[in-house]
Amino acid sequence: MSDVKTAVNEIENAFDASRYPAGFPEKYDQLECLADSHGTETFLVKQKGSEHLFVAKCYDKNLYSFVHESNILKSLHHGGLPAFADEFQSDSTVCIVREYIEGKPINQYITENNPTNQDIIGIGIQLCNILIHLHGQEKPVIHRDIKPQNVIVKDDGQIVLIDFDISRVYHSEAEADTQFFGTREYAPPEQYGFSQTDSRTDIYSFGVLLRYMLTGSEKENPNVHVYKPLERIIRKCTAFAPKGRFNNAAAVKKALLAANPKSQRIRKALIALCSVAVITLCVFGGIKWYQYATFDPFAEETIPAVLTDAERVTDSVSYMKNKYGTDLFDDTESYSDIGFVKMILTDVYGYNSDYVHALPEEEGPPHESEKNFLPWGMGDEQYVARDVMVYVAVKIYWVDKVSDYSSLKDDNGYYPGVRVAVAFAEETGILTGVGRPEDITKGEAAILLANADRVFEATKE
Amino acid sequence: MNEQTNQIRTSTLFRRLFKTSSIKEYMEKNADEMRLQSFSEYITGLCKKKGEVPERIIRRANIERSFGHQLFKGTKKPSRDTVLQLAFGFEADVDTAQKLLKHAGMSALYPRVKRDTAILYCLHNHFTIVETQNVLHEMELPLIGGGKSK
Repeated sequence: MSDVKTAVNEIENAFDASRYPAGFPEKYDQLECLADSHGTETFLVKQKGSEHLFVAKCYDKNLYSFVHESNILKSLHHGGLPAFADEFQSDSTVCIVREYIEGKPINQYITENNPTNQDIIGIGIQLCNILIHLHGQEKPVIHRDIKPQNVIVKDDGQIVLIDFDISRVYHSEAEADTQFFGTREYAPPEQYGFSQTDSRTDIYSFGVLLRYMLTGSEKENPNVHVYKPLERIIRKCTAFAPKGRFNNAAAVKKALLAANPKSQRIRKALIALCSVAVITLCVFGGIKWYQYATFDPFAEETIPAVLTDAERVTDSVSYMKNKYGTDLFDDTESYSDIGFVKMILTDVYGYNSDYVHALPEEEGPPHESEKNFLPWGMGDEQYVARDVMVYVAVKIYWVDKVSDYSSLKDDNGYYPGVRVAVAFAEETGILTGVGRPEDITKGEAAILLANADRVFEATKE
Repeated sequence: MNEQTNQIRTSTLFRRLFKTSSIKEYMEKNADEMRLQSFSEYITGLCKKKGEVPERIIRRANIERSFGHQLFKGTKKPSRDTVLQLAFGFEADVDTAQKLLKHAGMSALYPRVKRDTAILYCLHNHFTIVETQNVLHEMELPLIGGGKSK
């Protein structure tokens, strides 16, 4: 057994305890040094006498005349940002302690989890929400170092943006930033001193991050296909001139939601389901549960059940007009064709036309895919059968019902989504009022869409 | 330290690269050499090189036996403290301990962290894990594997 006392003495003598501000080593045990660069050291620390972990960042005052992180973190309170815990100062060093975020940085998350476009859009939207909060402060906070290492995915999927040491509060009177900070691939031109950085600086870095998440590289690679609507968002985010970019994070979020409506709908459906469960169990108890369990889509308040066919058409056309402000269904007697359906998708529901008009790239039997809304190569003039319209209506409102195209193929490999959609429509009453199987009219198309809308709204409540 | 004596030297790889007409051909031919060694491969190799069996390393590291074997098989990933325990199991010097941490993707022992300084001292002076824990305990520093760790 070696002499422990001698060892302790020698270690104490070799260690320079005066380096860190008084109070810091007394309150926290340093566990490891996570990073050491540019006059800053980042430590994982543990509060003495507890199991709580924190991150401490210590700055050399000779190199950093003004430390931003603590001032900025102190003023911000958001689930997507680490909470400020402590600050210690000496003549030479400042140590700022913040909440430790347990999770994986985006680069690691991407490598290990191979996320889908849908997952990445979800991450992007969470990040936009954080940026909306930062940029929406009375004095907007610009992060200026958005990169994979600074975006943490927690085990529960929540995104947290860390590392505020080069953030700045935007001063509208200042013209240009004098010093370059940031990470080269993620920094927009103005961060090299062309003009003052504003919130669009973060939007540029966000665009680069989005490309990284989708392709594994910050730079555009012509050999890697990026889902077109997302490619357009990346390009707009990373425009050279700030004025060519999205004006704010809210606009980016909106574009992400529109790029693929799946996430929004699934989220809404989940929220709706959760709300129903919570309300059922907590507020209305058994009565509400009974109502939910016996939910009848044919009930008068969901789909009007007492009208004649002609009245039903009129009712549905005016429902669509009132809700979506569209005149598309006015010509109720003429037949619906594929061109008309595509017009509905773009004009009424705001789908991206590339997504709606795309044809399957591969040869072979018709199939659904993430790239095309309509699974088969029908001509624009071709009349629409009832089941095709049902497929469209269900996919608009419950995309998850028809999206599992790989595992739902029927015996012949044809139109699996249509079969699923029709079964769903029969179960929920969306088919009410359209009995004829072939060549439906625009009025009947309106009925199916209005029915789907009503059922969707009813399940939300 | 040269635990890679049975591997092809970097200069040889460079020579091959410049002789090859296409990068693809080069990558295919030298795939084994270019693959990053996983932590489990690294510790298994280190074990062989030392003429030891994992069982003994695991026992000396004071790691629970089945967990230790899972680390060698690569079915479990170690925390930083577990890597440090393994370093004591290997009776590693400072250089080998840092390499173990690097292969596990963990941050290196850092002399401005008091706890790391103590561990560096103990590794350098060939302390056992128990002796090291005594030193840490005496200095009122968190023990290795003693609590929640990253």
